[in-house]
Amino acid sequence: MKALLIDTVRCTGCRGCQVACKEWNKRPAEKTEFFGGPGYQNPKDLSKDTWCLVTYNEVKINGRFEWVFGKKQCMHCLEPGCASACPVGALKKTEDGPVVYRPGICIGCRYCMLACPFLVPRFEFDSPNPYITKCRMCDDRLAMGEIPACAKVCPTGAIVFGERDDMIREAQQRIASNPSVYLHKIYGLEEAGGTCVLHISSVPFEELGYITDIPKQALATRVEPAMKAIPAVMLGAAIVLGVSYKFRNRTRQGEEPAARE
Amino acid sequence: MATETKGRFGFGSFILLLLVVLGIVLAIYRFANGLGAVTNLNQGYPWGLWIGFDILAGIALAAGGFVIAAAVHIFGGEKYHPLVRPAILTALLGYLMFIGGLLIDLGRPWMVWDMIFFHHHESPMFEVGWCVMLYTTVLFLEFLPVVFERYKMSGTIRAWMNLMPLVAIVLLVMFAWFLTHYGTWTVVIAAVLVIFELAVRGGAVPRDAKAPTLLIMAGIIFSTLHQSSLGTLFLMVPHKLDAIWYTPMLPAMFFVSAVMAGLAMIIVESTLSSKFFGRGLELNLLQGVGKALSWMILIYVAFRGVDLAVRGVGTELFAVSPQSIAFWIEVILGLLIPLAILLTPEGTASGRGLFWAGLLVVLGLIVNRMNVAVTGVSGGYWPTYYPRWSEVAISAGIVSLGILVYVILCRNFPVFEKEHTQAAEA
Repeated sequence: MKALLIDTVRCTGCRGCQVACKEWNKRPAEKTEFFGGPGYQNPKDLSKDTWCLVTYNEVKINGRFEWVFGKKQCMHCLEPGCASACPVGALKKTEDGPVVYRPGICIGCRYCMLACPFLVPRFEFDSPNPYITKCRMCDDRLAMGEIPACAKVCPTGAIVFGERDDMIREAQQRIASNPSVYLHKIYGLEEAGGTCVLHISSVPFEELGYITDIPKQALATRVEPAMKAIPAVMLGAAIVLGVSYKFRNRTRQGEEPAARE
Repeated sequence: MATETKGRFGFGSFILLLLVVLGIVLAIYRFANGLGAVTNLNQGYPWGLWIGFDILAGIALAAGGFVIAAAVHIFGGEKYHPLVRPAILTALLGYLMFIGGLLIDLGRPWMVWDMIFFHHHESPMFEVGWCVMLYTTVLFLEFLPVVFERYKMSGTIRAWMNLMPLVAIVLLVMFAWFLTHYGTWTVVIAAVLVIFELAVRGGAVPRDAKAPTLLIMAGIIFSTLHQSSLGTLFLMVPHKLDAIWYTPMLPAMFFVSAVMAGLAMIIVESTLSSKFFGRGLELNLLQGVGKALSWMILIYVAFRGVDLAVRGVGTELFAVSPQSIAFWIEVILGLLIPLAILLTPEGTASGRGLFWAGLLVVLGLIVNRMNVAVTGVSGGYWPTYYPRWSEVAISAGIVSLGILVYVILCRNFPVFEKEHTQAAEA
């Protein structure tokens, strides 16, 4: 299982990853405006054409404001809510790690968007033939033995790619070797049951606009008991209804003489 | 709908027709320009009025069909028979309206057939999709005798009585297989159904001369499953749905409230149709339905109360927020006031009290489903969703079309009791 490690301390906000992502995935540039988002961040948010976004956050550290950069993209959960939700299996978790989307069979129900705790999938609300769009961890590059475009292009080692276990170890090492700078927390280790995009930071993740009140178990675990009960309910209902029907006929026959009186 | 119109098309029908035309125009505009052109949905609020009203509330309100069919054909409440056909017709049209609403809400509705070929049986949405397809088929089959009777095809009715149990078995077994992909369950369910049918044919269980019991059972089973699975949909979002509504019991709550709303809908629909068609009101029957309704409200209120208490939801209910206000509207308007009406003898003595109690339960149910789908959902930093006028207009167009078709069918087919005499019926 592969994963990306995002080290917000090493990020310089160059946005090389944003550009590389657009180039590899052939997503057009967006019309942006200065101060359209927080500070110098551009564009404002993830969109159908922006699957990877460096967020600019002004955070107060030791009494003065500093830029701390975050990264928004699909978190590639170990047990993705979007994939559990999809009725046709258009979204799937692959063995390598990426959560991939098969646009051809998508019916456009948008249940994946509701299910995603990280608010990542984007729907093309302005298109008569809309699709869901999101980062696919460059699964086509992985298939060729390459690493994702954003990790390839990052000049400072703020985005590294490898086996998930190695990335967790790398994150722990970076935190341990610089404990006064790093927060002792890996975002994505437990969130929604664990993700294949791990983040480490020098400031609390809420201050980077990350969603932090996410359940620790996979969302599918909430749904499973109800779904597993279906055949039992079917069988139980068939038996109860059959017996009730038989019983009703007996009571009706019993009533008949009384009705004649 | 004044009494003197007696089922003729008047000013009311003209308004409904206008709403239908407006809805069609807006739907065409939506398909040309995408969902964003007519809705206020955004990336944080992907579901809105159409999911809450057309789909969640629409399906719950159509529950009257299976509730009354179960009461009459399975549990021996035969005196309620006059209510069956109108309720089945309401349910059938309700489901067709809902499917219409769904096709407008889906981004790529022309791909909806994918559910037949690509099975992701762990998804509650997949379950709902299949159940709705199959239950709509069952409702259509249950309504067929009305058509046969209209054209005096008594031979066809006999063939229908013979064939339907087999169709019901095929539908149920197919569904069991798709939802489990597990042979043992499928075989056991198939065996129980086949044994029941053999018992009926062999005479061990008396045959119902009026309806194929297995078809009625299939309708009840499919309804039970998808009414509850609509609640399962929201089990996926513990992080987004407000604690007032998010409970592991959501599937059971949806089922109980659907049975309740189905009963209320029978009262409302019978009252309105008796006014509109100038036929007599089955007051004694509706009083029985009202009694059942008061029991269902009591069960549902107790269930909700215990659930909230067990989960420790308290302060949220009394803090002033859109969510808590929406909750109290749902509870006071949709549960407590109708319960009070139904529990006072004066309330149920007249058709008026019954009608108002039923109507309030129906409205309360709509508020409840909107709360689960919209009001209680948090879309993070995205701007709060409110339905746009065009969303409301498309929903209104769909409902208007349903009412018009109901009126046309009731005028031309033997839906109400005194007009039909033949034995076979659903």
